[in-house]
Amino acid sequence: MSAVIALEDVCRFYVVGDTVVHALDGITLSIEEHSFTAIMGPSGSGKSTLMALIGCLDVPTSGRIIIDGEDTAGLDEDALAWIRNRKIGFVFQHFSLLPRLNALDNAALPLLYSGVPLKKRRERAEEMLCRVGLSDRMRHRPSELSGGQKQRVAIARALVTDPQILLADEPTGALDSTTGHEVMELFHELNSEGRTIVFVTHDGSLASECGRIIPIRDGRVAL
Amino acid sequence: MMLRENVRMAFSSMAGNRLRTFLSLLGIIIGVASVVAILNLGRSASESISASFEAGGLDTVSIMPRGSARETMIFTEEFSYSLMREIDGIREVLPVVSSVANVRNGQEIEEGTQVQGVTSGFFQSNSLSLSSGSFFTALDNINRRQVVVLGSVIAEELFPAGDAAGRYITIFRRNQARSFLIAGVLEDRDASMGTTYNEAVFMPYNTYVQRFRRTDQVGTYVVKVAEGSDAIAVAEDIEVYLNEIAGSDYYRIFSPATIKEMADAVTGTFSSFLAAIAAISLVVGGIGIMNIMLVSVIERTGEIGIRKALGAAPRMIRSQFLVESVALSLSGGLIGLLLGSLLSVAAVSAAGWTLHVSPAAVVTALAFSLAIGVFFGWYPAAKASRLEPMEALQRE
Repeated sequence: MSAVIALEDVCRFYVVGDTVVHALDGITLSIEEHSFTAIMGPSGSGKSTLMALIGCLDVPTSGRIIIDGEDTAGLDEDALAWIRNRKIGFVFQHFSLLPRLNALDNAALPLLYSGVPLKKRRERAEEMLCRVGLSDRMRHRPSELSGGQKQRVAIARALVTDPQILLADEPTGALDSTTGHEVMELFHELNSEGRTIVFVTHDGSLASECGRIIPIRDGRVAL
Repeated sequence: MMLRENVRMAFSSMAGNRLRTFLSLLGIIIGVASVVAILNLGRSASESISASFEAGGLDTVSIMPRGSARETMIFTEEFSYSLMREIDGIREVLPVVSSVANVRNGQEIEEGTQVQGVTSGFFQSNSLSLSSGSFFTALDNINRRQVVVLGSVIAEELFPAGDAAGRYITIFRRNQARSFLIAGVLEDRDASMGTTYNEAVFMPYNTYVQRFRRTDQVGTYVVKVAEGSDAIAVAEDIEVYLNEIAGSDYYRIFSPATIKEMADAVTGTFSSFLAAIAAISLVVGGIGIMNIMLVSVIERTGEIGIRKALGAAPRMIRSQFLVESVALSLSGGLIGLLLGSLLSVAAVSAAGWTLHVSPAAVVTALAFSLAIGVFFGWYPAAKASRLEPMEALQRE
């Protein structure tokens, strides 16, 4: 198995007023293809910053990040957007759906930015919504869906461009435990189908369901 | 493809907040409506002024002697011939004399009626036509016959039964009463250039001179310009000639063509001036658009973050917001165009003109609103495109 995500001595510093905050302070790790990894740490540990960097939503102050064999250092905004679009599917804690679009158009949205024609976008989004068990909710807007259903739409959206990596930030954090378990099951299914899943959580019991746990504390990998 | 999607998103976003959309469009709507109304009104006004000048005869130059000094003694009938001789481009010179008299038929008396002595060519030259009877002839003029042609209104007032032609009227002047045969009655004709045909009584020039006048002075010379000649140039030549022989104090010259030129210039300047003021309101409208777009970018920071996370490149975000601002301003422009057109129709019909749509107004309205959308939308759109994805997401 080869590493689909590799970080080499990654640092991320913020300047807040006069002080420099070391959000990440020299992280080196690699995540294998087809793995199910939990990045676990308490709030303030730097795990969200780490997720942003892996997801190419942010760039490191120093160090190298390699996504699917591609070194992201020095890439411009357009190239980073392309990586986010093609290689990474995001699932956020609070779903992050666009309220004015229905489930189908929400799930199809990433394909708009891949330049896929409307008809194909809808076909593909339909397929993904069926995959997550929402075939009867496609024309509903987020406000008409339950929390679990919203998160399924978000997962369908993350899958729609067929990325290698699913990056989930506390995906069950806003759900009740039953629904949370259903969503976790869905992630396991997707993993068994060969998708690499990276899970960011502070919840130890959720993390223990994952194949591997990377504990983060004070901006470092805790050993 | 992206454009269609952007347009769809723009209208869905506008529809999502109707009142706010409408309020932010008000500036553009009012601006465009006033530009359209002003340009349309300006054009309609100048077209109807032109029409009234054309009715008054753009091929006519009138010369009116004034004062009683020795110089005015040159304005006799002979002057008609010297004008023809001296100035190129004149078809004919029609001397007109006039005064005010009381006119009677039985019990019906019209006081203060204008009585004009004209040659028989006068009617044709002014494109006057008859509703009954006939014009008097050149022979009537030579023989100084006591015949008249009546304007439509005075005929109606003296002969309510409408049977004026062939009857007689009495004209009083200087304590003398004379009887005139009515040869014909003119068709109704709108007053133009200070000449009212409907209330006047016309008789042969020589008859007038013999019966009513004591001096040789002619009241007005109506100069008809030859076909193919420029009335304005002829008027200028006449002016030069008159200044030589009489001096500028002793006549007034009056040419519809010259006045039309001035009037056109005035309406043109006036409407460009008003349009410039209206353009200021377009700029204000543009600032309104920019304001609402900036608010929208701030409000939708989270949405922008999501879109960026899903792979939207900066230029895609920029074009989304740019399309939205253009959609806003073009909608405002279209509503303004509609409103301005309605205003023009209302104002034109109130003024009694005919509506002449100015193509420039339509083009200006749409081009301006497009330009405003791009110009004032650019900064907010650029701002949206530059947001850091992670920061934007955190503000969701």
